Amino acid sequence: MDFVLISKIFIYLINLLGFWLAFWIYLFNRKSRINQTFLILTLLILLWIDFAYLANLPSQLNRALFWVRLNFGVISLFFISAYFFSIYFPQEQKRFPILDKAVLGIGIIFFLASIFTDLIIKNVEFKEWGADIIFGRGKDIFFSVIIILTFLILYNLFKKYFTLPKQEKLKIQYFLIGVFIFALFNFIFNVTLPIIRGTYKYYQFADYSAILFLGFTAYAIVKRELFGIKVVLTYLFVGLIAILLLLDTLVFTSQLSLQILKGLILILFLYFGYLLIKSVLLEIQRRQEIEKIDKAKSEFISIASHQLRTPLTAIKGYISMILEGTYGQLAEKQVRPMENVYQSNERLIKLVNDLLNLSRLDAGKIEFSPELNSLEEMVSDIIEELRINAEKKGLYMKIVKSLKPLPKIMVDQDKLRQVILNIIDNAIKYTKEGGITLELKKLDGEEEIKVSDTGEGMDKGELNSLFQMFSRTTAGTQLHAEGAGLGLYVARQFIEMHGGKIWAESPGKGKGSTFYIQLPIHLDPKLLKTKTKTITKAANDIF
Amino acid sequence: MPKKILIVEDEKILAEIYRDKFTEAGFEVLVTFEAEEGLKLAKKEKPDLIVLDILLPRENGVYFLTELKNDLEISSIPVVVFSNFDDPETKRTALRLGVKDYLIKTNYTPKEIVAKIKNYLK
Repeated sequence: MDFVLISKIFIYLINLLGFWLAFWIYLFNRKSRINQTFLILTLLILLWIDFAYLANLPSQLNRALFWVRLNFGVISLFFISAYFFSIYFPQEQKRFPILDKAVLGIGIIFFLASIFTDLIIKNVEFKEWGADIIFGRGKDIFFSVIIILTFLILYNLFKKYFTLPKQEKLKIQYFLIGVFIFALFNFIFNVTLPIIRGTYKYYQFADYSAILFLGFTAYAIVKRELFGIKVVLTYLFVGLIAILLLLDTLVFTSQLSLQILKGLILILFLYFGYLLIKSVLLEIQRRQEIEKIDKAKSEFISIASHQLRTPLTAIKGYISMILEGTYGQLAEKQVRPMENVYQSNERLIKLVNDLLNLSRLDAGKIEFSPELNSLEEMVSDIIEELRINAEKKGLYMKIVKSLKPLPKIMVDQDKLRQVILNIIDNAIKYTKEGGITLELKKLDGEEEIKVSDTGEGMDKGELNSLFQMFSRTTAGTQLHAEGAGLGLYVARQFIEMHGGKIWAESPGKGKGSTFYIQLPIHLDPKLLKTKTKTITKAANDIF
Repeated sequence: MPKKILIVEDEKILAEIYRDKFTEAGFEVLVTFEAEEGLKLAKKEKPDLIVLDILLPRENGVYFLTELKNDLEISSIPVVVFSNFDDPETKRTALRLGVKDYLIKTNYTPKEIVAKIKNYLK
């Protein structure tokens, strides 16, 4: 096909698409600064492309200098609008009025200098592919300022990128992908091809890629829910290869048989590309459905837990007050049943707490907030709290501290407290005589809490499944083991959040058990970021 | 003189339990079921401490805390949140608004909660 004709078709198409994008976005929300700036930005890009096209038209040879100068004037204005766009998009940032005025001022000076003087564009020389620019004395300053402005624009966006929520981050990613495509096309058509083929003839394809940049940006402006970047890259990959194959077939291949062959390859590629995109979309759709179900599940658990807690609190309040004698002294025969009601209610409360914790672990909503804490102080407080329960059963409770006080370490106090409480509470529950011994010591790189009891002990099978959540197949039997199931599973997750270890040992049934918790003295900084992502897998089994 | 506490709690049974327990422990107790009403009572009665639920009809506990902090007349009254709603974000907001503690109701018996409050009033 005639190269001139192809260029003409392209330029009309680009202008049509550009106008449509610009006004679509503008009319979408006329009051938004982002949309207003995008309109200006797009119109300037179209002018930039059109003037460059006109400058290289053989019929415009005598006016080429005029078009090139206009082209560079528009480029100056384009960078001003891109700078302001980077301020407003995707959310307005803190303004620096002096910088804003400086950018505006310099842009206008360059605009005037480009059009009315020979400082930037001195003349044009005609080559077989079009107009070759002879720059003036101001060339270096001009391009330096353009480079500085580009960095300023990227700096504005990157700075915002790290503070914005996920969807807004995606918007910046879309914009940057657009910029990347524009840069890539420029690299291919303005750098690589001139080296390989020794001609700038195809430079306008680099200009045309601006429409992709505009498309990505427009999409990021109007769409509320953006596709993840992987989908976009798939689209992009397929689209880019298709465009390159098309160009290769139509422009760079002159032999008909080769054109037919390449055309066939293009059709095959389009078919498989379509399948690829379809499968990616299907996968995304499935993932979205699963996420929706997960969210509904977590919300249900959250609300149900809260609703369950209210009557449980009332039962707990009344029974405890009855046991304390607020409503008159209980007959001796009544004490035990009331205590049993109280304990059963406590189990329900614990179950609700565990379920809530699990649903949060599952949804990745549990926050890990470590602070410097003394394990000795924490353990002493917990022992004081539980001492009454132990004494009621006639059990001793002792704590063995290391000779030197342990250094404070970074732990999430609430979570660790819950874990230690859970273990000591279990130890009291399963010990009929004797007692519980707590030992604290410093190891190499870790601090250890050891809780030994003289209670029922466990066999190997029980030890193995202790920290796992009950699976559907074993739920029946495991649920009968009072207290087993959720509590220790949650405990393990909480300790693993710290990068620590928790396990239990027992010489066998009737021989007591020992629980170990080891926590690193120096918390791995990575754990602060990963939070709970590692723990969602097993949590899905339960619901 | 007995210490005066204001309980903002919309669950009538729970409000009754806490009122009885705090009265038994020698406090002067004011109870209200709503945030707006609670703010009015706080201004009028100037309690020594406020026990606040988070999920309330109409305006919630966070609204109560924000309004309280903006009113110089009552902003220095200590508040303890006592709720079964343990949403981490709400907890963070409440702590930022200066509450003494954010306690989960089911984890404490009325006796324990009285002991906690006494501790804060020391």
